[in-house]
Amino acid sequence: MARLLQIFGFLSVLFRGGTLSFESLTIGGIVFLNFVARSANPQSEVINLACLRWIRRAAVALALTQLAYILASAVILMQSADMTLADVSGANFILAGVLAITSALTIAALAGARSSKSYPVMLFPALLILLSSVMTSHAMARLEYRFPLVVVTALHQGATATWLGGLLYLLIAIPRCPDIRFARQLIARFSKLALISVAVLAAAGFTLGFAYVGSLDAIYGTSYGIMVATKAVLFGTLLLLGALNFQIARSPSGGAVVASLKRFGEAEIGIGITVILTAASLTSLPPAVDLRTNFVSKQEIVARLAPQLPRLASPSIEDLPEDIYAAEVKAFDAGTLSPASFVPGQAGTRPNTPAEKSWSEYNHHWAGLIVLSIGILAFLAQTKHFPWARNWPLLFLGLSLFLFLRSDPETWPLGPNGFWVTLQDPEVLLHRIFALLVIALAIFEWRVQTGRVATERARLIFPALVAVASALLLTHSHSLGNIKEEVLAELSHAPLAVLGIVAGWSRWLELRLPSENKVRDRMAWLWPTCLLLIGLLLLNYREM
Amino acid sequence: MRPSQGVLLVVCLSAVVAMFLMAHSVMAHAILLESSPSINSTVAGPDILIKLRFNVRIDATRSRLTLLKPDASTQSLTIAKEGPADALASQAQGLPRGEYRIRWQVLASDGHITRGEIPFQVTQP
Repeated sequence: MARLLQIFGFLSVLFRGGTLSFESLTIGGIVFLNFVARSANPQSEVINLACLRWIRRAAVALALTQLAYILASAVILMQSADMTLADVSGANFILAGVLAITSALTIAALAGARSSKSYPVMLFPALLILLSSVMTSHAMARLEYRFPLVVVTALHQGATATWLGGLLYLLIAIPRCPDIRFARQLIARFSKLALISVAVLAAAGFTLGFAYVGSLDAIYGTSYGIMVATKAVLFGTLLLLGALNFQIARSPSGGAVVASLKRFGEAEIGIGITVILTAASLTSLPPAVDLRTNFVSKQEIVARLAPQLPRLASPSIEDLPEDIYAAEVKAFDAGTLSPASFVPGQAGTRPNTPAEKSWSEYNHHWAGLIVLSIGILAFLAQTKHFPWARNWPLLFLGLSLFLFLRSDPETWPLGPNGFWVTLQDPEVLLHRIFALLVIALAIFEWRVQTGRVATERARLIFPALVAVASALLLTHSHSLGNIKEEVLAELSHAPLAVLGIVAGWSRWLELRLPSENKVRDRMAWLWPTCLLLIGLLLLNYREM
Repeated sequence: MRPSQGVLLVVCLSAVVAMFLMAHSVMAHAILLESSPSINSTVAGPDILIKLRFNVRIDATRSRLTLLKPDASTQSLTIAKEGPADALASQAQGLPRGEYRIRWQVLASDGHITRGEIPFQVTQP
């Protein structure tokens, strides 16, 4: 039963992630079509048709993921609370889901009709999708200031979809523009819309931050505060890219300008989606204002982050619990775990033993040494004086093997749990996927660095995977109880994630920006620097 | 497929992979702020009033309270229909002395489920 709930719980959060993303793409596309593409020029028919195709795809994907999400959530509720389908059907999340599905299918039908009269009509179901999303937000469940918070949340989500969802449609539109002048006209229109969206987004974000974080201590002392701060840093990076775009859009030169804008736009979408998901991850945590105890103090943070020698000797595997997951389930069934709030399928919380902490520190420190070496070699390779240093991606193979062996000691090949059985545990599954991502990254980038492959797509695999893997760090599973150890771990993971995201997208820009753009040279040095810093931070990672 | 479409596909696929993997914990959850009986407290039996208060609004009709008795048997508790939006109330009668647990599961208004336990002890009045 616990396993079934865990699987359905995991599926439901996957579908929720898809829902949020396709929602932004659907709403952003409709706003773009109505306020940017449609009124730009009568020649924009080709662009309109391309936008309609993508809006339709996003709307169908939204309807499907939303349906899957409510089905998975309904199964969890029926199984865990012994309810019938009829009991569950009136729940708020089902009503919100049905509203979103109906609206998305309406949009898909309107987009399929391809009539220009339907463009403004699509704004109505887009609003309903936004309403359905707000119906399942933090604001809806608040006791105080519920209505103003709902309005601010709607503005926040609407502005995000307009800016980041719309940006994708700008990238779709630019290659289809008949000439440079028309492309510039389109960019100028979108820039105005983006500026307004950013202003609304920032104002609403500040208001929500003030309402949910509540105090300065909570920014660094709670998981919620740390995630808000991380989101603010990523938002700052987006603003920087936006400012570069804005500057370029006003410069007089021709073709390279449009090429640069497209490349910055790609990075903006990537980082933007990371910000959306950081925001989604925020909702997995109780707002900091609701927590009264267990804030981490400045002194505790300083003590934890003070530099120390890395741990390069591992504790014996015999010192670890035989099967960490099974031990937790057993303890939970016997009722010996702390009675913290948790989600169905979770086994409860149990403090790590000193041996487990040493095991984890050892893993982080050796991983740090490998990443530091990668950073140094990548730096040397960029100087062009050390051709052998271009083989640096091969070090990632060592990192993958290390992660595969050490990340889950209770599972195959080190532990007693078999290979297929352990894949049912979402955490082990994520670790295994991560190890495979690292192998893919090593092979593709080694072939790129050593000139064995020159196609554009293959070259982009490394930055895309680095950005994706770093984004994963931001959702490192959160405890509902603001357990101090988890807050301190998050303090270490958040800078690693931000550095990884910057490394991935700066390498992307180095590869994609036209050679005339001077920013490209700076990006070429930025990503090896980020790798170096990641290695150093990992070397100082501590759990006790 | 044109090169620009290929690149767009890589961006979108990466983003979708990221979304799906990152959505590891995309839910908002209710947490227990206070309860009566409180965690690890001792209360006088045999009849006790139960009240749980959360940080958000609760869908009481789709929430559950279960009493785990000292002999490991369970009893579903009836949740009172009236009450504040953020609280669940119930009562248990005729409890002999011993160690009990209230197992709760709530559906928050934002559609997410949380559970937890409250261990407590009953003494004779």
